[in-house]
Amino acid sequence: MLLRRKQYMPLTLLILRRLLWVLPVALGVVTITFFMARVFTGDPTELYTPPEATDALRAQIRAQLGLADSLPRQYIRYLHDLSQLNLGTSFTTGQSVGSDLWLRLPATLELGFVGLTFGVVFGIPLGVIAAVNRERWPDFLIRGLTLGGMALPQFWIGLVLIMFFFVTLRWLPGPVGRLPVGVPLPPLVTGFLLIDTLVAGDFPKWLLAVRQLILPGLTLGLSTMAPVARVTRSSMVEAMQSDYIRTAVAMGHSKRVVWFRYSLRNALLPVVTLIGGVAGHILGGAVLLEAIFAWPGLGQYALQAIERSDFAALQGFVIYASLLYVIVFLIVDLIYMLIDPRMRS
Amino acid sequence: MSKLTDARDVLVLALRRRATPGPGGVVGLKAPLSQSIPSEKPRRRARAPLSWSMRIGAAILLVYVTVALVSFVWTPYDPFQPGVGDGYAPPSMEFLLGTDRLGADMVSRLMAGARYDLGICLVAVSISLTVGTVLGTIAGYYGGYVDIVILRIVEAFQAFPGLLFAMLMVKAVGPGVPNIIMVLSFVGIPDYLRLARAEIQSRRDWQYAEAARMVGNRPWRVAFRHLLPNSIGPILAFTSINAAFVALVTASLGFLGLGLGPNTPEWGNMIARGQDGVMTGEWWVSFFPGLAILGMTGSFYLLGDGLSDLTDPRRRR
Repeated sequence: MLLRRKQYMPLTLLILRRLLWVLPVALGVVTITFFMARVFTGDPTELYTPPEATDALRAQIRAQLGLADSLPRQYIRYLHDLSQLNLGTSFTTGQSVGSDLWLRLPATLELGFVGLTFGVVFGIPLGVIAAVNRERWPDFLIRGLTLGGMALPQFWIGLVLIMFFFVTLRWLPGPVGRLPVGVPLPPLVTGFLLIDTLVAGDFPKWLLAVRQLILPGLTLGLSTMAPVARVTRSSMVEAMQSDYIRTAVAMGHSKRVVWFRYSLRNALLPVVTLIGGVAGHILGGAVLLEAIFAWPGLGQYALQAIERSDFAALQGFVIYASLLYVIVFLIVDLIYMLIDPRMRS
Repeated sequence: MSKLTDARDVLVLALRRRATPGPGGVVGLKAPLSQSIPSEKPRRRARAPLSWSMRIGAAILLVYVTVALVSFVWTPYDPFQPGVGDGYAPPSMEFLLGTDRLGADMVSRLMAGARYDLGICLVAVSISLTVGTVLGTIAGYYGGYVDIVILRIVEAFQAFPGLLFAMLMVKAVGPGVPNIIMVLSFVGIPDYLRLARAEIQSRRDWQYAEAARMVGNRPWRVAFRHLLPNSIGPILAFTSINAAFVALVTASLGFLGLGLGPNTPEWGNMIARGQDGVMTGEWWVSFFPGLAILGMTGSFYLLGDGLSDLTDPRRRR
C-alpha cells in the first residue's frame, strides 16, 4: 500500500509531507520530556539558589526560572513560545536554548560525519569480502571482529584508543575537545572547524583540528562499521542464494559482475536502512562519546541538562534529535529511489 | 542426510495420521498420535543441528551465570572492601588483575559485577519480553481501536533517543537496582510490542488460526495458544539481540554514574572509575571490565545469530 502510493507521489510533495511529520513526533516527544522532567525530578530551584537564601529570594528565583506557575500553564506557555520558534532560556548558561544548540550542532555533526563515513567506507567492503568468502577464514575473521565491535561499549573502545594512541604511543593528542588547550577557535563561518580553519587560511590549525578529530571519529567509526559490515554480509549472502544470481552465473557473467553489479546492488537496501538508523541516532549516541573526548557538542549539552535539571535545554535537545531523525529518514527514502528503480515513479 | 530424515518424517507422519482417526481432526493430532507409533529414535534427530555460534554463546553465558552465582559465596577478596591491597597495584600473583584506585581487588569486583550486569539484564529483558509480547499479541490479534491506541503511544516513546530516555527516567525514579530494572524493561517494551504485533497480525488469517476459531476456541486462546507459539521464534531471536543492547545500556548508565551507588562493582561504573588511571598508565582498572562486558554481550549476539538461523528458513543452510 505505502509503496504503491509513494510511486505516484511527486518528489516535492513527498519531501514536504515527510517534513511535516516532524510536528507530531516533536510534539509527542516534547510533551513526554516536559512532564517527565517536571513531575519526577522535582523543583530544581535549589540547584540555582545559594543555600543561605531567604524564602523571598527563593520564590523570586523560582519565578525567574519560570517555575512558579502551575504545570499546565507552564506547558501552554512553552508551546506558545515554541510556535514562535523560541526554545526558551537555559537555566545553566543563561542563553537562549536555540542559539546554544545551534552553536554546538556543528561540533556534533562534524564528528558524526567523520564517524559515519569511516563506518560506511570500511563496513560495506568488509561485509562484501565476508559474503563472497562465506564459511572460510576471511568470513570468520570479519564476523569475529564485527561481533567484537558490536558487543563492546563505545565508551570503552574510546578509552582503549586513548590508552594506546595517546598515553602509550603519544602519536595523537589527548581528549581535550576540538582543538588543543590554549589554541583559539578560528573566526566563525560555518562552525565546522575543518572548513573554518581553511577559510581562515590557517593550515597548521586545520592539521591540529584533524588530529583532535581522529580518535573520537575512529571510536564512532568502529562502532558504526561493525553493524554495517554484518548487515551487508547477511543481506549479500541472501542475495547470492537467489534465483537471479544463479541465472547470472549460469549465463557466464564473471564473478566481479555477479558480485558487484547484481548481488551488492540488490543487497544494499537493508544496509541503507541501517545506516539511516545509525545516522538518526547520532545525537542520542553523542552523549557518551562527547563525555569521553570532552567534545563541546550537543551530547555534552544534553548530559549537563539532565544532570542539572535544565528543562528548556533538555527539551530543545530532544526536539533537535527528533528533527534530525526525520530528516535522515527522508534522505534514506530518497536514496532508496536512487538504488531501487521500482520506487521511482 | 537431511533429505533422508525428512523422508522418514513424512512417512511417520502419514502412518500416524492413518492410525488415529481421532475426534480432534487436525487440531487434536498431538497426544494420541505420538503414542500410537513406536519410533526407535527420538524425534529430536529430525531438527537442524545446533549451530556453533549457538553452542559457543550458550557456553559463555553459562560461565557468566556460574561466576555470578559463585560470587555470592566466594570471591578471592571482599569486592566491597577497599584497601585489601595498595591502590593501583598492577596485575600480579596476589591480585591477578590488579587493584583499583582504592586498593580493592579487581577479580573480586569483576565477579561481583557479573551478578549486577547479568542480573539486571536478565530480569529487565524477561519483564519487557512478557509485557511487550502480551500487549503486542492483543494489539495484533484484535486490531481496531486497541491496536491504534497502543501503537500511537508506543511510537511517541520510540521517537526518543534510547539511552537518553533511559537516563532521564533513571534520573526521574532515582537510584537503586529495582529502579534500573524497571526503567530498562520499560524502555524495551515498545520493540517487543511491535515485533509481536507484526508476527501475530501476519498469522491471524492463516488457515490453522481459522481452524482453531472454527472448532470453538475463544479469541484469546487462539491468540495465545495457537498464534503466539508459532510466532515465538523471531521473538526469541530478537530477545537475545535485545539482551545485548540492554547490557550495553546498563554499562552506559553505570559509566555516567546514574542509577547505582558510586562503589557498586557494576562493570560500566568500574570503567568510569578507572578513567583517571587510563591517563596515567594504570590501564587495568578500565580494561578488564570492558572485556567482561564483551564476553557477555558477545554471547548474547552469538545466541541471537544461532536462534535466527534456526527460525528463519532463508538463513538456514
